[in-house]
Amino acid sequence: MSLLLRLLARYRRAVILTTALVLSFLLMTLQVRHESGVVTFTRQALLFVVSPFIKVTSATIRGVTGTWRDYVDLRALREENKRLQLETTTLKRRLEQLQDQALETQRLERLLAMRQASRAEFLTARVVGKDATNWFKTILLDRGSLEGIRRNQSVLAPDGLVGRVVEVTPSSARVQLLTDPVSAVGGLIQRTRVTGIVSGNLGAGARVRYLPLMADVAVGDEVLTSGMGGVFPKGILIGRITSVERKSGALFQEATLQSAVDLSRLEEVLILTNLDVREGFESGAGSQP
Amino acid sequence: MTWFLPGLLLCAMAQAVLLGPLSVWGIRPDLFLLLVFLVSQRVSPEAATGLGFLIGLCQDGLSGGPLGLHAFSDSLVGFLAARLSHHMYTDKPLALFWLLLGGSAAAGGITLALLAFFLGPRLVLPALFRVILPEALYTAAVGVLILCLPQIRAALTRST
Repeated sequence: MSLLLRLLARYRRAVILTTALVLSFLLMTLQVRHESGVVTFTRQALLFVVSPFIKVTSATIRGVTGTWRDYVDLRALREENKRLQLETTTLKRRLEQLQDQALETQRLERLLAMRQASRAEFLTARVVGKDATNWFKTILLDRGSLEGIRRNQSVLAPDGLVGRVVEVTPSSARVQLLTDPVSAVGGLIQRTRVTGIVSGNLGAGARVRYLPLMADVAVGDEVLTSGMGGVFPKGILIGRITSVERKSGALFQEATLQSAVDLSRLEEVLILTNLDVREGFESGAGSQP
Repeated sequence: MTWFLPGLLLCAMAQAVLLGPLSVWGIRPDLFLLLVFLVSQRVSPEAATGLGFLIGLCQDGLSGGPLGLHAFSDSLVGFLAARLSHHMYTDKPLALFWLLLGGSAAAGGITLALLAFFLGPRLVLPALFRVILPEALYTAAVGVLILCLPQIRAALTRST
């Protein structure tokens, strides 16, 4: 026993490093092979602890930005009284703010219109955080299981598909964007009804993979969700094809896809909380976003 | 080391919320890795390994990737940075830049290798040029700015 302790003490650096590396490797293995309770609990606990701080920070930033904007406006108005030539600048700034507000109202109106037009039930959520790494594309929402959000629910924006919920805590939810390298969405080319898999492409948008080699695919074609896989309802716009690649000797052709939604500027999203996946959007009352 | 937990929390919030507007072509500096470097310069290699593991675990919890991915690379980088920091003049901005650049690129390389091992083959060149190198450069530049702030301030005071 004492020999073992002496050996451990002598090689403690190597022992600690090896333990940390093996533990990390084990954690990853557990997740890849199957959904592990320990790992899920750890992830949810971490998110549960940190997400309130993130929400507060996000709200504080919005508040400070608003106050700062008001403060700047006040200063500009005071100066305007002294120097009339600044009037145009101040008015322009005000106009920009109004345009911002108008855009926000427009966005919210479109979300509302989409919600009313569809038979599905939606929940609106605000984006409060982004992925902590540059490798994955996920966002954090300010609503969680207490509001009825569950794993694998589809997340949309007025222009199209955003992704799916992958992790939920009582007050927050993590959404995997369709550009995430581990994301896979069943896609359908609207014009020719050819199906493929839309998946993320490290740092460069998304690609449509496994398109039959002889299939008719052209630049500009719209890609919708195919409804296969049981996660996303059929008929939601994913994006448009920007280029098609046919490599010699390959079994399939591939295409790059421009997402219909600007995923880097998301502020509010809709979460589809109650819709039969088989029902889809194409068969709905003209509710395709 | 009383600042470790508040620092980790601050890092998490900054990485998830504050750095959004500072992203260049979708790439943000890796503040968690900077924290690993900061810690590794102040503690023994054993402690740096353990704290690197914790930092990486926290980063994985706040990301869409598998838990353990960054814990692996951060504990390794923490250990190596702590060993190297005793041999390198890390108070010199240029040395620090190269150390951060190398460390960040190494962490990126490890992450890519682990992703390929667990989630299937990844395209190396796009990952290298679109994620690993830009992130390493951005992290190193921001790291030098943050870690050498007292020196920069002193130099500016001397010049004025």
